[in-house]
Amino acid sequence: MDNENLRSVGCDEYEDWTRRRFLMQSSRSTLSTVATPAWLPRVVLSGAENSRDTLVVVFLRGAMDSLYTIPPHGDPNYYAPNLRDPTLRIPPPGDPGGATDLDGFFGLAPQMSALLPAYQSGQLLVVHAAGSPDPSRSHFDAFSNMEYGTPLQTSDLYSGWLARHLQMVPSATGAALRAVALSDLIPKTLAEAPATLPIADPAGFGFPGRAIHATERREALQLSYSSADDPLPAAAQSTLDTIDLLGTIDFQNYAPVGGAAYPETPFGNSFKSVAAMVKADIGLEAAMLERGGWDTHSDQVGPIQTLMTDLSNAMAAFHVDMQNFMNRLTLVVMTEFGRRADSNGSAGTDHGHGSAMMVMGGNIDGGRVLANWTDGALLHPDLLYQGDSLDVTTDYRDIVAEILQNRLENPSMSDVFPNYTPTFQGITI
Amino acid sequence: MLRGRQDKDNIHNEWCFFLEPAILFYYACTLAVGQGLLSNWEIAMLQLDNRILSRVRLRGRQSGSSASLSRRQFLAGGAAGLAAFGVIADRAHARGLRTRLNRQKKALRFSPRAVALDPNILALIDRATFGFSQATYDEVFAIGQDNWIEEQLDWGLIDDSVLDTMLTAYPTLMMSSQEIYAAYQMNQDVPQFDLWYATLLRFVHSKRQLHGRMVEFWTDHFNVDIQDGLEWAFKTADDRDVIQTYALTTFPQLLNASARSAAMLWYLDNYTNQVGHAQENYAREVMELHTMGVDGGYSQADVEEVARCLTGWTIRNQPNFGEFVYVPQFHDTGSKTVLGNDIPARTAAAGEQDGQDVLDILATHPSTAGFISRKLCVHFLGYDPPEDIVESVKATYLSTGGDIKAMLRVILNAPVLTNLATPKFKRPMHLVVSLLRATDATITDPLGPLYMALLMGHFPFYWPTPDGYPDKLESWATSALPRWQWCTWLFDGSLAQYVDVDPDALIAAEGGNAPGEQANAINRILTGGRFPPSDVAILQDFYDNAIDNDQFAIWDTFGLAASLPSYQWY
Repeated sequence: MDNENLRSVGCDEYEDWTRRRFLMQSSRSTLSTVATPAWLPRVVLSGAENSRDTLVVVFLRGAMDSLYTIPPHGDPNYYAPNLRDPTLRIPPPGDPGGATDLDGFFGLAPQMSALLPAYQSGQLLVVHAAGSPDPSRSHFDAFSNMEYGTPLQTSDLYSGWLARHLQMVPSATGAALRAVALSDLIPKTLAEAPATLPIADPAGFGFPGRAIHATERREALQLSYSSADDPLPAAAQSTLDTIDLLGTIDFQNYAPVGGAAYPETPFGNSFKSVAAMVKADIGLEAAMLERGGWDTHSDQVGPIQTLMTDLSNAMAAFHVDMQNFMNRLTLVVMTEFGRRADSNGSAGTDHGHGSAMMVMGGNIDGGRVLANWTDGALLHPDLLYQGDSLDVTTDYRDIVAEILQNRLENPSMSDVFPNYTPTFQGITI
Repeated sequence: MLRGRQDKDNIHNEWCFFLEPAILFYYACTLAVGQGLLSNWEIAMLQLDNRILSRVRLRGRQSGSSASLSRRQFLAGGAAGLAAFGVIADRAHARGLRTRLNRQKKALRFSPRAVALDPNILALIDRATFGFSQATYDEVFAIGQDNWIEEQLDWGLIDDSVLDTMLTAYPTLMMSSQEIYAAYQMNQDVPQFDLWYATLLRFVHSKRQLHGRMVEFWTDHFNVDIQDGLEWAFKTADDRDVIQTYALTTFPQLLNASARSAAMLWYLDNYTNQVGHAQENYAREVMELHTMGVDGGYSQADVEEVARCLTGWTIRNQPNFGEFVYVPQFHDTGSKTVLGNDIPARTAAAGEQDGQDVLDILATHPSTAGFISRKLCVHFLGYDPPEDIVESVKATYLSTGGDIKAMLRVILNAPVLTNLATPKFKRPMHLVVSLLRATDATITDPLGPLYMALLMGHFPFYWPTPDGYPDKLESWATSALPRWQWCTWLFDGSLAQYVDVDPDALIAAEGGNAPGEQANAINRILTGGRFPPSDVAILQDFYDNAIDNDQFAIWDTFGLAASLPSYQWY
């Protein structure tokens, strides 16, 4: 949610800033024939390696309109005259402004087409008519249900599903930072997660204050905290370790490979920071990124095109940049619910139900769209959820659980998702 | 016929509230039929963090990374300002930042103390205020602890004109929900920021410190999330007319006010609670969180019966939008049984009494007395308060009808505080406020300190779930970095555009310029002289080594002192 912010603060300043950073970076990358990239850590972690995938969770806040971003152009109802405002659906492939076809039935909105190479490589899976089965159309409740992993339940569980996974599976490396949220506060998905910090800007996670005598201040703190009452010694040590850990990574000079170009946006920079942390092999097991702004109630087209460009370019860059790490990496994209099949009177769409997910990784059976699209006509009025919205035919827990069990070695789904037995969809290889 | 006509008019006048698009939308969502009407505030909700962040310009810097441009550094002034970070030397830059508007004011405070402060007074200040300051100590010392407690309990009589003058900058504080809703639909930030700013200023500057500590307590107890729907319009009145007004009255009065507050009716959905469509959210939480506690001895059947009793308790539309109204047409007129008490069938017109009966039953229930007493003891005495004190507070609750002042007299009793209270970890707002109080800081823009609390995960009226911000050690003792940032940046000039603190003047006024006296002086300023000797030694050692080549070493010594574990506890 931080991500739109900088643009609205002062775009000129922002552009200058990113330009400077990228100039610095590109001048650096001309030297990239050096065997060891300069930004790599100066220290190497000892101990065992994680055999588990690092999981990157991208939460699209505001409820993404999957009928616009990933149009089901093969469903005849999609183009029915009364379904929605023609400007709020994507024309068929081949038409002007038409969808980029994926499988003859589903396509990508033009601004999402940067994802096509990843899809064609077989490492990107699209799951349509997916999401949380909870009927709530309140963002507020939907976040809670989805992130705590308790849709359709009355629950007093206030830990996130990803947090519970981390609690159950000990770190193989004893890492100081097992999970990170690229935000100011811990999102509910990671609530109560061990060795997890909210770090909006990993490059800025440094010891505060004036440089002069910083070492001495730090030593003084370490000395005092070492004899403090619990849990302060451990908390301080973990903070200092994380400062050290992230301090070994030169985020500013991080050079993506393969010609990958992250969007020059806060969201793109967050992705780049995650890439740097994963490559630096610091024992990170999970990262969570958030992109807000998907609550497109009015004049949807402009804002959602910007969002799609940002999302798809960031994911595409990540896919290229992380190519040599894809075998140990899974990325999952989710949103709290979808939007209604019909449009409203404000050239926008209101709160609906089913949306879509995306999963990317070297061990993901991608290059296809997974969807239980009844009779090829899930948008038929009789099949709409509560008569107005795309249904949820794949529970997000089925997707997440399969990743956690097969790629992150979690032994017990019933603890991650209480009172639910996931049905694996065969998404992992 | 005539009768029916009147009813219809009443309906129109009193609760056509439900026809408001925004309300209708939420109502529809609650019933999961999803009308999905456009609502600006919903979009706003998702961008709230941004709205806070977008106003913040922090000059926080990281050591050894002058070339690294963090987001916050970027925010500090854009690329041009950042270029300066790389080329201007630390001290010159910080000196340039610093404004010294109130140096002279501070200099008047010269009163080095050779005698240790009274530990009983310090213990009282720790618990009954938002942190030690010499001014508060002098206040208590002048009239004695018992008189001071009585003065604090009779908070309405305390002259708070200095604060009141500050608060005149925030006109929405005195507005009704209707006035706020009418005036700020397009500027929903305004009432929220007014309330956030006022909350910080009250905690820091109010002479009614014990009242403030109780407002903090009841705000969490009767949690309302300002991000939720129409709370941007409702929370101001809830804070003023419920939490502040009844914070030091009796618990039953407070409970009654909260149950009829639009903010609570909205937040826990009772405004939609109607016969045939019972809404159990408030009914459950009023027992679980507000009165009896989760193990207080109620059943699911009780929840359902309480919900039936509270049908028709909703929010008025016109006139006086945002006030409580009982709508007879929504009420379930059947008989009910709540916690073994029979509630007779009543006419719709008389049905409001059902809800009142419920509140009366809950307010006088022994489980409630025990639950509130324990929570109060945890708030003031420690995470695991002694059982006999809890029992004694509970007995006071039962014998006085939940008189909050009477309970506080038991808790704030000097031997109890001095002998039985155990250290608590400052929650972020507490850390922020206590440091501002100890250093007699001048807040020029409350957003800076509030934002630092937000970075630590704490912000007024911002907790989403009805349980309120946690009061547990493990919830807060996680990353130390944002704490160290706040404590460091306050003194090194990084927050100069928000807060004016003058470490040099503070140290001079405390007689800390003599060789070897810096740590002692800082210790007196921040804690009344209670850092352990080992910490004092660490501080003095740091200062003595740093001053050789750093004429501003005292700034960092202050920052270091506030960052120490000792200052994180109270």
